[in-house]
Amino acid sequence: MSALRRVLAGCLGVCWALPLAAQALELPRKPSSVRFAVIGDTGTGDQAEYAVGQQLALYRQKFPFTFTIMLGDNIYGSERPQDFDRKFTKPFKALLDAKVEFDAALGNHDDPNQRFYKPFNMGGNRYRTFKKGNVRFFVIDSNYLDPDQIKWLEQELQASGSDWKIPYFHHPLYTTAARGPEVELRSILEPLFVKYGVDVVFSGHEHVYERLKPQKGIQYFTAGGSAKLRSGDTRKGALTEQTFDTDRSFMLVEISGNELYFQAISRAGKTVDKGVIRRLAKNPVAKSATGANPPR
Amino acid sequence: MLLNERRGKSLHRAGWAVLLAVLALGCGKQERVDPTAAPIADFVKRVDEYVALRNRLAEAIGPLDETKSQAEITLRAATLASNIKLERAQAKQGDLFTPEVATVFATLIHQEDSRRPDSVRETREDQQEELPDFIPQVNEIYPTTYPLATFPPRLLPLLPKLPEHVEYRIVQHYLILRDVEANLIVDFMPHAVPTAKTP
Repeated sequence: MSALRRVLAGCLGVCWALPLAAQALELPRKPSSVRFAVIGDTGTGDQAEYAVGQQLALYRQKFPFTFTIMLGDNIYGSERPQDFDRKFTKPFKALLDAKVEFDAALGNHDDPNQRFYKPFNMGGNRYRTFKKGNVRFFVIDSNYLDPDQIKWLEQELQASGSDWKIPYFHHPLYTTAARGPEVELRSILEPLFVKYGVDVVFSGHEHVYERLKPQKGIQYFTAGGSAKLRSGDTRKGALTEQTFDTDRSFMLVEISGNELYFQAISRAGKTVDKGVIRRLAKNPVAKSATGANPPR
Repeated sequence: MLLNERRGKSLHRAGWAVLLAVLALGCGKQERVDPTAAPIADFVKRVDEYVALRNRLAEAIGPLDETKSQAEITLRAATLASNIKLERAQAKQGDLFTPEVATVFATLIHQEDSRRPDSVRETREDQQEELPDFIPQVNEIYPTTYPLATFPPRLLPLLPKLPEHVEYRIVQHYLILRDVEANLIVDFMPHAVPTAKTP
């Protein structure tokens, strides 16, 4: 009987230790760095979303990030109060309890009234900008890129000085996933990004993780696989630097001075990509990216 | 006398010349009148009237500020939609997208579509495939379980600018005018957009 108890206890111990053991932090945790998480296409309310939420909370114990950017499709399907509980506040309860700020962009599955939902920190706006340390974020509504928004974006990019410039929005301008890039959006946004020295862009929509080869000096990430998954959806090609499309994933990012460190992590806690992007301080357009490519 | 006569005749000729020139200019002006201007001005006026109505109803409910309560957001949207429906109980398709402006919009949209590269056209059609078959109705809530397809950003500047609280949306071949906060279909225009299904 006691032997059986020991075996059971041992099994439980192994089960408990597995997710923890999988967590290898690859970020330097430099003093005064800007630290955040990146999630996309989360609002399913299914088990996978809860697992990602749990993994984020575990990683936060080692890497105390203070905010999380959401790349849209924050709430799939109906948007009743109980849906917000099941698809957002419960899966990310540990982070919300720890006062981690969520900064949402709107996806094509999101009711624009989400901009009034305080936990998404949109301030009642479909698009907005905010600053953390030496990083300026531009939250774009890629569902409805009207002339007013384009004018706003250009003004804000122009005024943002030498900060890191990081736009994020739902639809990817570059992707190797099957649905393909948003070429029309790209034809409008990319010239502005290039002109004003954007460094890094995050998008969702495609339910995979991708790091693409820098395009016109800009590093593009797709991180739309934090709850939904399109398994095997990416295609290796000239654009591809690293992809992960066999499980859900999220990202952790740390920016210190002119270095941006990133780590992409699977639902099971395994690191699926990592690296550092460096930019030259006096020339915000000039950048170089180095990414270590772990085996898939 | 002869001199005066000649001067009078030349003045007479000059007068005719001026008159003809003025008439010609006038005719030229008439030729330059934009035939789309009147239907578009009428559409803008109708949209403004709708927005004035919905703003009055929204003010009666009270401002919607950021809130932690999704229930509050949902209740406000539902109340606003319900009040608009009551006030516009007789509204029907074509009240804002009148046949005259619908012709103008259809031409603009088809012209823009013909300029699209194939890659852009394919992306737009892929987006529409995400939407189920959907026949909009005036005063109907836009189904919250359906995604909102990205509105073609190159088309938006070609259409009349809309005031705050209303937006254009495309679902299959329909161009929809949607009240954003009430999530209500204000009007729609069928066969506005060329699609693979309905050329």
